[in-house]
Amino acid sequence: MIASEETFRRLMTKAQAGDKLCYSSLLTECEKWLRRYYARKINPAAIDDLVQETLISLHRKRASYDPARPFLPWLAAIGRYRWIDSLRKIYRHEHDQLYEDMVADPQDETVTAKVSLARLLDMLPPKQAEVISLVKIEGLSIIEASAKTGQSESLVKVNIHRGLKKLSSMVESE
Amino acid sequence: MSDMMIDRLVEDLTPVKPLKNRNGFALTLAMAAIVAALVVMIAGIRGDILMGMPHPMFFLRGGVLLLLGLTSSYAVIAMSQPAVGNSFKGWIWALAAALLFPATAAVMAVSARPDDMAILVPRYGMECLGVSMLAGLGIAAAQVLWLRRGAPVALERAGWLVGMSSGALGAAAYSLHCPFNSIFYVGLWYSLAVALCAIGGRLLVPRLIRW
Repeated sequence: MIASEETFRRLMTKAQAGDKLCYSSLLTECEKWLRRYYARKINPAAIDDLVQETLISLHRKRASYDPARPFLPWLAAIGRYRWIDSLRKIYRHEHDQLYEDMVADPQDETVTAKVSLARLLDMLPPKQAEVISLVKIEGLSIIEASAKTGQSESLVKVNIHRGLKKLSSMVESE
Repeated sequence: MSDMMIDRLVEDLTPVKPLKNRNGFALTLAMAAIVAALVVMIAGIRGDILMGMPHPMFFLRGGVLLLLGLTSSYAVIAMSQPAVGNSFKGWIWALAAALLFPATAAVMAVSARPDDMAILVPRYGMECLGVSMLAGLGIAAAQVLWLRRGAPVALERAGWLVGMSSGALGAAAYSLHCPFNSIFYVGLWYSLAVALCAIGGRLLVPRLIRW
């Protein structure tokens, strides 16, 4: 069971005031939320690092959360920022398929659905989203992605580059 | 692994004051006021203002630049507190209004006499360009410092907006001194000052605010 928006907000407000107990609960809940958020949107081998990097970012940038506003859209913006950063670093995954038993992003709440990574990917032109998914998330090589999509190798590279650039500009889009 | 890391982060926790957009905006305004005061003190103020009869172009030009500078500054400051769903697009309308100046100048240039265009020589315009950009640099520095305290997630857009807003406010500060009222002058040199600042912001700011 993952905490509600209201619980997140309350814990974060107390954490900003220096309450370590609340902060520990907050980070534990955020870790759970982020694992589901990133599931199937990054190679499983990279999830641990990505979740940790996002939690460290949350820690470093905790003053940028405004207690008067919802918490999850703030966490999701930081999560998307770190995710795109992580996609940029990945060129060839060690694993060539996703763990099928991983839970996809949580879609059960309106707020969560609006901030999901799938929604962000859907905003890309289909050809860009397709090659990013194949190469950066599923771990195919450029040659394999080219054969699968019918795009030339250089077009796959260009579409990945353009797609990631576009994702960066849309981090805060719903 | 995560539990150990969480313990370390909890151990490292110190109280923080949440960033307030109004403080960041006030910082930008204060810096804009300082550079405007410096322009007036060093270069002097327009003669028509001193005589109490400012030309309408002074208000139009300054007003549009201020509007563009303030709306885009607000967008910059808001970017320090990221959230999916954030949207600050008021500056787009201010930019559209500002573009009327170069657009009008371009249309008028078609039927202008050569004498009217003499105002475009770089001898006059370079001062406008230099002072506006220098003034903008001070304002941009304040905005970059604020963004570094926050967590901007769209770095390139932040770069464009920092450049455009600081350039517009810097040019507004310079307009207190600038004696020219020609639409050709304003359409070329002021537009160029804001555009160059925006390009400079796009090129330099992202690497300064990356986190």
